[in-house]
Amino acid sequence: MNKRTFILAFAALVAGPALAADPATINWSKIPVVKIPLFYPGQSSYEWLRSDAHKGAVKEVMRGDACLSCHDEEDAEKDIGEKLVKGGALEPTPVKGKNGFVELSVQAAYDDKNAYFRYQWKTHGKAGIEYPYYRYDGKEWKVYGGPRLDKAVQEGKQPPIYEDRLSMMLDDGKVAGFAEQGCWLTCHDGERDLKTAAKEEVAANEAMKAYKKDDVRKYLPDSRTNPSDWKTGKPVEEIAKIKAAGGFVDLIQWRAHRSNPVGMADDGYVLEWRNFDSGKKMFDSNLDKETKQPKFMYDAKKFGAKAMSAKQAGKKESFLIKGVNAVPFDPKAGWKEGDMLPRYVLTKDVEGSAGDNKATGSWKKGMWTVVLTRPLGLANGDDKALKDGGVYHVGFAVHDDNITTRGHQVSFVRTLGLGTKADIQAVRLP
Amino acid sequence: MKHKIFATALLAFSAIAFASAPAVAGVDADAAQKLAKKNNCFKCHAIDKTKKGPSYKKIAAKYKGKPEGEAKLIENFTTEPMVKMEDGTEEKHKVIDTKDMKEMKNLAQWILSLDK
Repeated sequence: MNKRTFILAFAALVAGPALAADPATINWSKIPVVKIPLFYPGQSSYEWLRSDAHKGAVKEVMRGDACLSCHDEEDAEKDIGEKLVKGGALEPTPVKGKNGFVELSVQAAYDDKNAYFRYQWKTHGKAGIEYPYYRYDGKEWKVYGGPRLDKAVQEGKQPPIYEDRLSMMLDDGKVAGFAEQGCWLTCHDGERDLKTAAKEEVAANEAMKAYKKDDVRKYLPDSRTNPSDWKTGKPVEEIAKIKAAGGFVDLIQWRAHRSNPVGMADDGYVLEWRNFDSGKKMFDSNLDKETKQPKFMYDAKKFGAKAMSAKQAGKKESFLIKGVNAVPFDPKAGWKEGDMLPRYVLTKDVEGSAGDNKATGSWKKGMWTVVLTRPLGLANGDDKALKDGGVYHVGFAVHDDNITTRGHQVSFVRTLGLGTKADIQAVRLP
Repeated sequence: MKHKIFATALLAFSAIAFASAPAVAGVDADAAQKLAKKNNCFKCHAIDKTKKGPSYKKIAAKYKGKPEGEAKLIENFTTEPMVKMEDGTEEKHKVIDTKDMKEMKNLAQWILSLDK
């Protein structure tokens, strides 16, 4: 051990434990609670906001006015959400009984090492901790279950199965318009469940080919020559320049099935697509693309069986985790019709920027409580670094009751300040 | 009974919803707000903040002491006139979705009462 290493090690030993709080021991009762109204947006995309259907607001949206400059009246979010969720031009396939409004409680704190966020919201039904499965039909492994907006689910051909999620989008002022219009900058016609672009059209598009993507996901206006047309993606080199200049928004998602069981939230960013950060994230597909069979199955000694059954679904925790209850798939294990395995396999062995965010969530008495820990000062090229004294713009979303894509409840943009005046003021921990 | 409900509504209105807006005899503030909200009036107007359109307090001040105020406001509610926005542009004013003159008068009177 050389002298410098010794000094660093000593400093870490002395200072380390005092710098980072254990999120489980933070006294949240001392941290102010900010109630953020979330509402069902249906298909109110970037393009819809700029259409005549957004009555009396086109000029204002086009010139970059804030959504809240009009929608600031009492119960604005509740009124919009409860209207849209029932169906109409912005919701062509309403989900029966779906709630249009969710109140999200947000608390924030920080110390020298991390920022800590505590979120609470009431779920519409029971906790959504399952994800659709692969089910063996005697010949092939096929997807079983799906989110409530899927046609097969709405027609009763598949059961509603999907994980609950809590998402936070974050910018540090480098994305033009995010401070005013927040998440709506990323929500475009052509995305899944939002006038979904035809697969053939995506496959034939040069920009999408260059991005190596076969569907349209969230994107920022600056990634297109025409922000209202997903087909006009800028060259990869130009996207890289925008990214290097910080022209992306961070997207952190806590997932009840695919990240919570390993104590994490994923780390992504939106620019030309909804990307995951570099490195190895906590979940991966459980399907072998060549054999079309699962990659992993349950360890019968740990799980009690090598597979789930439809009868067990929803009654038994289905998480498949490497190093805990997963073993390599054995095609000769005597599979029978109805055997089910998770579509995703989880790991605690994350690597790089993809593994920055830790999170734990618990569901009690109809309410999720999620505590997210994000390191301060992240220097990765795909992260927005949180710093003491910094002010950021944030948007929130909750996916609840077995649903994904547009079926969330979202917030208008808010400010987050670390020790600085903002809508959500993170308190410095002693 | 009606008077009792009215009085309670006025108290609640002045104490909670619009502390800066005094109650005025003869005006059903609760009903006025409901009508305004139902017609998305608050998307462009606020009580005391400039939005796309002028604040209601500014409108009330403009017509203070002018007997034509109520008629002018009702004209705006019903005839879709071109009105000047706060950014200097002009747009057609939205027509309120009611044929009930009593409701419209109440809304106009409530707005005009906000100068106090």
